Amino acid sequence: MDVRMSRRIRAALRAGARGAAERPAVFLLAVATMSAGLLVLGAYLLVVANLRGVLARAGADLRLVAFTELHAPANDERVAALAERMRAQEGVGEVVYVSPERLRADLGSDAGVLEGLERNPLPGSFEISPPADVRDPARLRALAAKLEALPGVTEVRWGEPWVEGYAKVVRIAEWVGVGLGAFLLMVLGAIVSSTVRLSLHARADEIQIQRLVGAGGWFVRLPFCLEGALQGMLAAVLALVVLRAAFAAGLPLLGDALSWVLGGRPAVFFGSLESAALIGLGVALGLGGALASLVNLDERG
Amino acid sequence: MIQMYHVDLRYAGGTYGLRDVSLVLEKGDFVFLTGASGAGKTSLLRLLFGAQKPSAGQILVAGRNITRLPATQLPHLRRQIGVIFQDFKLLPERSVFENVAIALEIAGVSRSEIRTRVWSMLKRLGLGHRIDHKPRMLSGGEQQRVAIARALVNDPPLLLADEPTGNLDPALALDIMDIIADAHARGTTVVVATHDPALLERYRHRRVVLDGGRLLSATGPDEYSTPLRQLGVTRA
Repeated sequence: MDVRMSRRIRAALRAGARGAAERPAVFLLAVATMSAGLLVLGAYLLVVANLRGVLARAGADLRLVAFTELHAPANDERVAALAERMRAQEGVGEVVYVSPERLRADLGSDAGVLEGLERNPLPGSFEISPPADVRDPARLRALAAKLEALPGVTEVRWGEPWVEGYAKVVRIAEWVGVGLGAFLLMVLGAIVSSTVRLSLHARADEIQIQRLVGAGGWFVRLPFCLEGALQGMLAAVLALVVLRAAFAAGLPLLGDALSWVLGGRPAVFFGSLESAALIGLGVALGLGGALASLVNLDERG
Repeated sequence: MIQMYHVDLRYAGGTYGLRDVSLVLEKGDFVFLTGASGAGKTSLLRLLFGAQKPSAGQILVAGRNITRLPATQLPHLRRQIGVIFQDFKLLPERSVFENVAIALEIAGVSRSEIRTRVWSMLKRLGLGHRIDHKPRMLSGGEQQRVAIARALVNDPPLLLADEPTGNLDPALALDIMDIIADAHARGTTVVVATHDPALLERYRHRRVVLDGGRLLSATGPDEYSTPLRQLGVTRA
């Protein structure tokens, strides 16, 4: 970049800062409006993040149970070999062998029904935890079929109705999330675009004069883009501060009800990564809205 | 400096702002563009600094065919053209210094050089004591001098003035015209659109007359008139 260009960029930035300072009401109105939108979006994302945690925990409880004809203790070599073959299958996470004796012990007082039998009739079984990316019915069905084909495995059960219900809930949550998120983003984009247009209108004379004395398109656009980005950033920070305050104030009030909804899991606020992402989203929205409203700016002036 | 060949400016609805205008202005010329209100003076000036594109014909300014110039190249051309308007077009919230400096900032001139050149230009136009004032604190004549300072501070080879004295009383109008004449004396090509007979009488420069968007024969004293053939004009 040559010296003149860097001076022009600095001049454009100064012009933008001056323009914003001369019309603080327009600037603050844009920040407040965007902040309200980002607050709604942030609150929604906070709810989704907490519910996703609940769903993730429910998903983590999911197990496939592979029954085996091996009536062997846990340290038997054949059991270890079969467990190893299971682990080698794609989509298999942790594998735990439950021996007939262990199962009988787990029955506790109910084990009385087995009294008098010559041998323990309970089967040995393997509890298999699928990783998160395998927790959909189709993949679990395929995994169950593969496990069932292994020598020594008699049957695989995986609670198909529960898994299908779980998958449906996750899918609906994701689609609602995407739809509502997209809708809120569009609304926010329109708000930013309108406020930048308002700002453009307020600075029409200045732009005309800049054009007249030889300002290029980028010279006119750059301050608006930076103003939009700055507004987006400030709006996101403001939304986060308000949301954090509301979160802190609302937790004691919601108390048991919230705990029940979240399955006993404590509600969590955004971490630094999510907060940074929301601020980044604000910046992107501000920038995008500014660019959208500047598309049709008359190049001739 | 300026060559226009069979230029039409047609508006939506079919009316013409300019029709078959051909005109050649040499470097260093001083030309009055005159005619009644609505004759096409402003339209012609707007074409010359690229605010509009002609519907037909070719326009060359400072060696560039602006009818074919992409919008992205227009700023380069405009940095070589100073433009003055009847309504001054100053930024009311900026100081006199800032209003003049804007032309140099956009040209990428260093801040120290901007200070030197703006100060020197304002002093030359008798506005040294007004440098920190806002335009609303100035008289009409002073405001127009600020606008002229902004137009000239970049030393443009071409100065276009659209009714520069239209909002001023006669004494101030002469003051402004003297400044423009001084710029011409320093080598700037000047085109002034005016319908003020007093100015045309006092400043005996070439005149080009527009009527209903068409270029007519020049008026005024013969020795200062510009026959159409000398201007390269072809009547439709």
